[in-house]
Amino acid sequence: MTTELETLLDELARRHARGEALDVEATLRQAGARADELAPLIEAFLERAPRGAPSDDALAYVRSLDDPPLLRARVAKALRVDDVVDAIVTACELRPEARAKVRRYYQQLESGVLDPAPVAASVWDAITTLLGRSRASLVAPRLDAKVAPSPMFRADKLFEPSALQAPSARPAEPDPPDEVDALFLGDE
Amino acid sequence: MQDARDAEDNRLLETGEIDLLLAGWLETIRGRCIARMRGPVGEDVAQAVCERLWRELKAGRHRDGRLPFRVIVHSVIGWVCNGWNEPGWYESEFLEPDRAAPDESDEVVIDVTLEQFVATLPPGDGEVAALLYLEGLEPAEIAERLGKKPNALYQAISRNRARLREWLEE
Repeated sequence: MTTELETLLDELARRHARGEALDVEATLRQAGARADELAPLIEAFLERAPRGAPSDDALAYVRSLDDPPLLRARVAKALRVDDVVDAIVTACELRPEARAKVRRYYQQLESGVLDPAPVAASVWDAITTLLGRSRASLVAPRLDAKVAPSPMFRADKLFEPSALQAPSARPAEPDPPDEVDALFLGDE
Repeated sequence: MQDARDAEDNRLLETGEIDLLLAGWLETIRGRCIARMRGPVGEDVAQAVCERLWRELKAGRHRDGRLPFRVIVHSVIGWVCNGWNEPGWYESEFLEPDRAAPDESDEVVIDVTLEQFVATLPPGDGEVAALLYLEGLEPAEIAERLGKKPNALYQAISRNRARLREWLEE
């Protein structure tokens, strides 16, 4: 049995030397019940081994670190926005007509415009299941995000109400909140 | 040891090629996080480590070369893994790797490296280990390069396997 662990460790060390993917998860699975014994050895090895040369994939990943985590996770899975929207509509048992609104909200969520805190657990379940990532990793705070000061504008001239054209009709009343609003904005 | 690799890391830091620098460490970061955390959460933790290091590099930190960048990397891995389940672990502004580690077992051993392990082996076995673990050659290539018979080579590999494990357990 000891030989088996040594073999797995030896294979991992060789993959590392060849610059291949280490696939630590698969190696630990192969160790079966002795994975707990192997894991610290892998850690110790990686702590002492030289780093590899950067692969193109690794470089692309690092360069995407400025993207919002949700966007990064979707792109990593080669999914379209519509794939995620479909998953949310299905999981939350929404009417097909709600799809466009879900899409708008999801895009706001993905781009970091929408506060993720009030978004319903059922929406997050659909997203995390599809993307295979935890909610925490998808909404991890943007540590480098600083609140930009609000822009200030100087008025060139005073406001003249008479310069405004009279509205041709009364503006439409906003729609009352529906179930999609509740899912993404919470019960306000 | 690891002078050459540390020097290359320092060069990348000095020239601002921080994307290449972090990309070179990515596989190590993923591997350690998965080994430590076990299961898919390891990928999440690795992402958090990369985000933290990326943020610090973009802020121009660690360019003074006071500590080798590998020490910074392993300190951040230990720090994120330890804090992953603690609320608010990510809220500190920057990691201070020169502060005392919260757990002594997580202190990075600066001067223990794979090259040193290879250097401690008897000459014949050391040559095999260097080509296998540092150069990434296949056994057939090593046999050809060193003029060893397959049997002798596999015996050396087998001895080195046991020594590698023993060394990692120290």
